[in-house]
Amino acid sequence: MITQNNFWQHNKAVFIFALVALTMPLWFPLMGGYSGLDTKIMIFCIFVVGFDILLGFTGYLSFGHAAFFGISAYVTGIMLKSFSDNIIPAIIVAVAAATLVALIIGLLTLKRTGIYFSILTLAFAEMFDSMAMSMLQRWTGGENGLTGMPTPMLFDLKMQGDTVFYFCAICAIILFYLAKRIERSPVGLMMKAIKCNQTRLEYTGINARKYKLLAFVLSAMYAAIAGALMVVYEPFVGHEFLGWHQSGEVVIMSVIGGVGTLVGPMLGAAFMLYFENVMSVDLGEQWLLVLGVIFMAVVIFMPGGFMEAIARLKKRFFTTIDGE
Amino acid sequence: MDMTLNAFTLSVLTGLQLGSIYVLIALGLTLIFGTLGVVNFAHGALYLIAIYLAVSINNALGFGLALILVPPILFVIGVLLERGLIQRFYNRPHTDQILVTFGLAIVLQELLKWIFGANNIPFAIPSWGNGIIMLHDYLPFLEGFVVYPKWRMILVVVAIVTVSAVFALLHLTRFGLVIRAGMRDAEMLQFLGVNINRRFMIVFGLGAMIAGIAGVFGGPVTQVSPEVGMQLLVPSFLIVVIGGMGSLGGAVLAGILIGMAQSFTAPYIYLNTIIIYLITVIILLVRPRGLLGAKGVFE
Repeated sequence: MITQNNFWQHNKAVFIFALVALTMPLWFPLMGGYSGLDTKIMIFCIFVVGFDILLGFTGYLSFGHAAFFGISAYVTGIMLKSFSDNIIPAIIVAVAAATLVALIIGLLTLKRTGIYFSILTLAFAEMFDSMAMSMLQRWTGGENGLTGMPTPMLFDLKMQGDTVFYFCAICAIILFYLAKRIERSPVGLMMKAIKCNQTRLEYTGINARKYKLLAFVLSAMYAAIAGALMVVYEPFVGHEFLGWHQSGEVVIMSVIGGVGTLVGPMLGAAFMLYFENVMSVDLGEQWLLVLGVIFMAVVIFMPGGFMEAIARLKKRFFTTIDGE
Repeated sequence: MDMTLNAFTLSVLTGLQLGSIYVLIALGLTLIFGTLGVVNFAHGALYLIAIYLAVSINNALGFGLALILVPPILFVIGVLLERGLIQRFYNRPHTDQILVTFGLAIVLQELLKWIFGANNIPFAIPSWGNGIIMLHDYLPFLEGFVVYPKWRMILVVVAIVTVSAVFALLHLTRFGLVIRAGMRDAEMLQFLGVNINRRFMIVFGLGAMIAGIAGVFGGPVTQVSPEVGMQLLVPSFLIVVIGGMGSLGGAVLAGILIGMAQSFTAPYIYLNTIIIYLITVIILLVRPRGLLGAKGVFE
């Protein structure tokens, strides 16, 4: 009985997320969201949850996670095109490739502290971007992007419309559950200790670099899964998948939502994509300007993002009741 | 390597010219980082403001006024940014400083895109800077007919003058002495009763002003479009890292190094696209604090 209660307590957020995610096709169109946008939101939920393992737990701000997203997307596209239209081998190979790249970049960039890390991850992503446009053009399609993929198949199930959505949603739910498990685990605690005080952690004889690298590679794997799903969702890969815009987008989503809360970044992702695709109709070309202003306001006045806003409102609400 | 003396000379000049813009951007970045400890992701956007101001004033009122007006305007913009925004972040984590300047970069870039459009605006070079220089007249060892665009040579001269002026300011004046002391130990300086905040403001303005000078002379070379800011920011960041965070001499050295590397690898397209990253990785592995980085500074 007690274990069952604990299970419910620990996974409340996962159940709520699952409920919201799986019913999304029912209520999302009522808000003006077109079909397909919900799939994209699920994919970016995966991306930002992984990103939060790095930024939220260890405090390392990467400006180059588009690299893993993009590399995985390209590999998925090439696999679908030239190996098999089944998405399972494509995703496995793509994530493996991105993980390997992440391991190498992580080993190089994590030698340095926060600021260097941000600059260097940005540089590596830009390097892959320019490589995709020049020496790898034969495989990536260069400026035109990678096109001509067959309809992706999950064994003999065609990946189209709602099928893609439910596939992505189930992936997102499982990966969110895993991130929650990591957060509660001793490894997650070590990662959070790095953010608190890395020097002190090292003085206790713990190898902080091992945990930093683990967080980096894990977050890259989440980004890679998101990148692969992006190709399943829409059979096209452009070099903008690798660009700093893409990395910056994930940073904005995480910060607006609330870094370190796992749920917050997902809210941020949903908000940003909704803003970009639905609310931007009224704003036209200036949507990014408005978003930039919102982002700056959050950083300046509410560093905890939406989650801090919710917590503040909750506190105010409950204290009023207590006062009466 | 099979290379004639003529080709070698031209590559050196192109390297210097590429390096000049990098050095001017990186100088401001490293100055601001060294004194204020702030990584300014909006520095590319400051350059953007400069080139758009320069091209507007140049096309309406002539280059002379652009040259006189743009750097001081950028100084004022820098001071206002520091007072209005950056100073709130001195006591917050570096991550927050990166985030807020990144947000600022997006806002400024989108604002300029809104006002001036996304396309390149032609930046007419003034008549006295147009044309080519006959290099063989000055360098007797060159064979035959060797020419180089005059404006690009002017850019190199401007970079040399600006760098010299900044070094003179920092090493020959009392103001510079205080700034250098602040780069070493800001806390101690405050204990000695120096008003460090006012100087921080001026340093940020100075960094912006150098970006302004870079914009006036670099605009015709780098083009005038909203993407230019971010395109220059990444190499400039790497130059700051290669040179050593907060080291002015390092930024100059690394800027020239990267300019040369890009110029000399130009015939090899594949190597050319990744050379700057390759150098960064090698430097990081061999000398993690950068070429001239001081020991213990953000190591």
